[in-house]
Amino acid sequence: MPPRKKKDPFDIKPVKPEGSVKDRFIKVIKEFADAFKGEQEISLNSKKVIIAFLSVVFFISLLIVAWIEGGRKRVLQYPEAVVTGTNKECVNCHQNTTPGIVKQWKESKHSHSGIGCFDCHQAKDGDKDLIAHYNGLNISTIVSPKDCSVCHEKQFQEYTNSHHAQGGAILGSLDNELAEVVEGHVTFDANGVKTKNSAVAVSGCLQCHGSEVKVLEGGRLDPDTWPNTGIGRINPDGSKGSCSSCHLRHNFSIAQARQPEVCGKCHMGPDHPHLEIYMESKHGISFVANREKFSKEMENLKWIPGVDFESGPTCATCHMGATRDLEITHDVGSRISWNLRPPISEKIDAADKAKNIPTKSWQDRRKDMQVVCESCHSPGWIGNWYNQYDNLIDTYNEKFARPATELYNLMRSENLITSDTTFDDEIEFTYFYLWHHEGRRARHGASMMGPDYTQWHGMFEVADNFYQKFIPQLREVIARNRAMGGARAEGAERLNAKLQAVLNSPMHKWFIGKQSPQEKAARQKERQEFKKRYVQ
Amino acid sequence: MSFKKWFNERVPIDPEFFKAFSSEPVPDHLRHWWWCLGGTPMYLFMVQIVTGILLAIYYIPSVDHAYDSVKNITENVNFGWYIRSMHKWSANFMIASVILHMIRVFITGSYRKPREVNWMVGTFLFVITLLIGFSGYSLIYEQLSYWGLTVAGNLLNAVPLIGSVLSSFIKDGDAISQFTLSRMYVFHAAILPVFLILLLVVHVALMHLLGITTFFFNEKTRRKTFPFIPDHLFTEIIIAIVLMILLTFMAIVFPAGLEEKANPLITPAHIKPEWYFYFTFRILKITSISAAVLIMGAAFFVLLLWPFIDAKLLKKKKTSEASTYIGIAAVFLLCALTLWECFALFLSH
Repeated sequence: MPPRKKKDPFDIKPVKPEGSVKDRFIKVIKEFADAFKGEQEISLNSKKVIIAFLSVVFFISLLIVAWIEGGRKRVLQYPEAVVTGTNKECVNCHQNTTPGIVKQWKESKHSHSGIGCFDCHQAKDGDKDLIAHYNGLNISTIVSPKDCSVCHEKQFQEYTNSHHAQGGAILGSLDNELAEVVEGHVTFDANGVKTKNSAVAVSGCLQCHGSEVKVLEGGRLDPDTWPNTGIGRINPDGSKGSCSSCHLRHNFSIAQARQPEVCGKCHMGPDHPHLEIYMESKHGISFVANREKFSKEMENLKWIPGVDFESGPTCATCHMGATRDLEITHDVGSRISWNLRPPISEKIDAADKAKNIPTKSWQDRRKDMQVVCESCHSPGWIGNWYNQYDNLIDTYNEKFARPATELYNLMRSENLITSDTTFDDEIEFTYFYLWHHEGRRARHGASMMGPDYTQWHGMFEVADNFYQKFIPQLREVIARNRAMGGARAEGAERLNAKLQAVLNSPMHKWFIGKQSPQEKAARQKERQEFKKRYVQ
Repeated sequence: MSFKKWFNERVPIDPEFFKAFSSEPVPDHLRHWWWCLGGTPMYLFMVQIVTGILLAIYYIPSVDHAYDSVKNITENVNFGWYIRSMHKWSANFMIASVILHMIRVFITGSYRKPREVNWMVGTFLFVITLLIGFSGYSLIYEQLSYWGLTVAGNLLNAVPLIGSVLSSFIKDGDAISQFTLSRMYVFHAAILPVFLILLLVVHVALMHLLGITTFFFNEKTRRKTFPFIPDHLFTEIIIAIVLMILLTFMAIVFPAGLEEKANPLITPAHIKPEWYFYFTFRILKITSISAAVLIMGAAFFVLLLWPFIDAKLLKKKKTSEASTYIGIAAVFLLCALTLWECFALFLSH
């Protein structure tokens, strides 16, 4: 064993090579060349340089690989727009004229896949809305669902079969009459053809429901009908709807379409405050609490409750989204079992069944919704919740909607008010409020777990409207018509008989002081105990 | 009875053996870290074992949960991202340092008699290191690891005679399934590391038995040596500390990420392996599956048997430096194929 010579193990003193760097370099090259000729071996010192050189070459190669790989990952994270063919012309010009839409498009998956402006906007010969745009290119301003169906056929079919697609068919509805007659004004020519639509309908109703787009000369679009991205827009090519209702152009982000506010563009306000109810519900509360966390994954094609996220489903999650067992659907009504829109709620398949139109039964729709619920809730919970929901709808229907509707219809059929015009009598507004505003708020509140909308914004106001406005106004109508005598008086008697029957029914007799003594006593006792509890 | 006596009775090893072992003379050139690259992969392998065990606590080798468990490790588990990034970077460093070690051994001719067998053991260690890297990448179960596994299965299938058996054994049938993932897990976490450890023991033992090749750069350092402990041990500890700093730096600046979850129904636009298989992938692309398998097989056997091929060459011409030229050409070829594949991937995006 050799003796240790140095005390300091780190005392590394490399032997200084002889000669300058240049001389050493020349020496290595010379040795290398001589060895190649077979004249001598390469010295260890030169081999050291060769090893260092090879190691540096290898290291630089790795650095290049790392740099390119890093770049590729950046591209994956921030993909770049691919501008192909004719689209280059569009982008070149529009990034100066309308830079916003070009930027939106550059952020879209469309641009990353090379789908550009002309791919969607190109018009074929014979298209009603063809515009000779620029440099011989024919385009259509409107990209209809039919245009989108070239790539998104399944979504197009589901959407076309949905209730959303029928949103534009509101002509003749009470809402439409309000916008065109009561709130706004429409002009007709001598043949009864509309010459100018109601400004209220154009800027109000139709922006959600969708207009029937009219094409003027040269492919220009009638300002009474467009701009419009209503959900049931009737397009020049005959297709219904507008994909950009929810998938805002031109970035068509899935995450954005899943935001509750997207649905809230239309599903809000006094007549159907879905967005407000959702925000009141625990679903909405947990979504707001987690939306930052969700923001990235919401862009995924599938965003499955219980798998990709654990709380805070949005409207799209329950009504459209994929679950572990269900596929994504663009038929938004396909999981809804009640139709809460009309004065008296009915099961959603009732209208189609009455007309013998084959449709998905309400039981199957409910079953699908329950599959969604099962992502987070137990079957027992779901069953009980549906029980609560059904009971509220039944209560609304039987206590207020059906009696009020029957009384209202009888009043009109007996001509006790002007029956050929709606909304010229106070009671018509009262009845409209009853089911269209308060009644829907109560029902939608129950359907989406918004207790305050069910109670104070809902059933409380339904009751207030029914007992304090509708019944007194009905009594006025009866009294007024009784005084007129003849057929009107006879009609008034029939209406009064119907009213008395309603008021004497078990649910309403309290209002005319006919509560049973037992119930009266029990309520009084409860009241006193309550007062005692709160020392009132 | 003193403790020493008590202990010696029960563990009858001569303390002189340890003394001799610890004071084994180390050639003077090993004072420089660049000659110590053989120890670097061994140290990195220890890092792999420690981080690998920690990752195994949270990793779930199931097709349904593998990706999510890796995501959980990366995003939720305390220091999970750090441990995973250390595991990833030490794997990459390990492969790079093995290649650098091999370059040094090859160019200096350290594999020559009597160290031929140790070179062969080293070649197997290199291949096992690559296989551990590959099987580890498969476990993430992201799109590229899934489809990389599919390509590897197809490559195995093209191995003459035993290809289909090999492929179906690895994949358990035609498609990638739960059983493929389980096999990859067992290979990565049990079989291959055990082989690696066994071969490492043989590699180090042979190194000690045969002695470290001594380089004399000039007369001044001729026959100069220093003891293994503590001198060389300190050098290795310094290297280990520097490597730990470097790994931590890489883990913090370039943490291990995650791409999309494996989807058997969607083939990604561009399938690519990890960088250390770029050269194989390039050969596969410029030839065919069968040709690539044959070329890779032949390259492995040439590498394995190089000491004997070199001896034949030396016999023909005493002063031949053919091995140096071939070594240089091989390194350039490896770098060129790697860069070619890398640029091809870059241009295809």
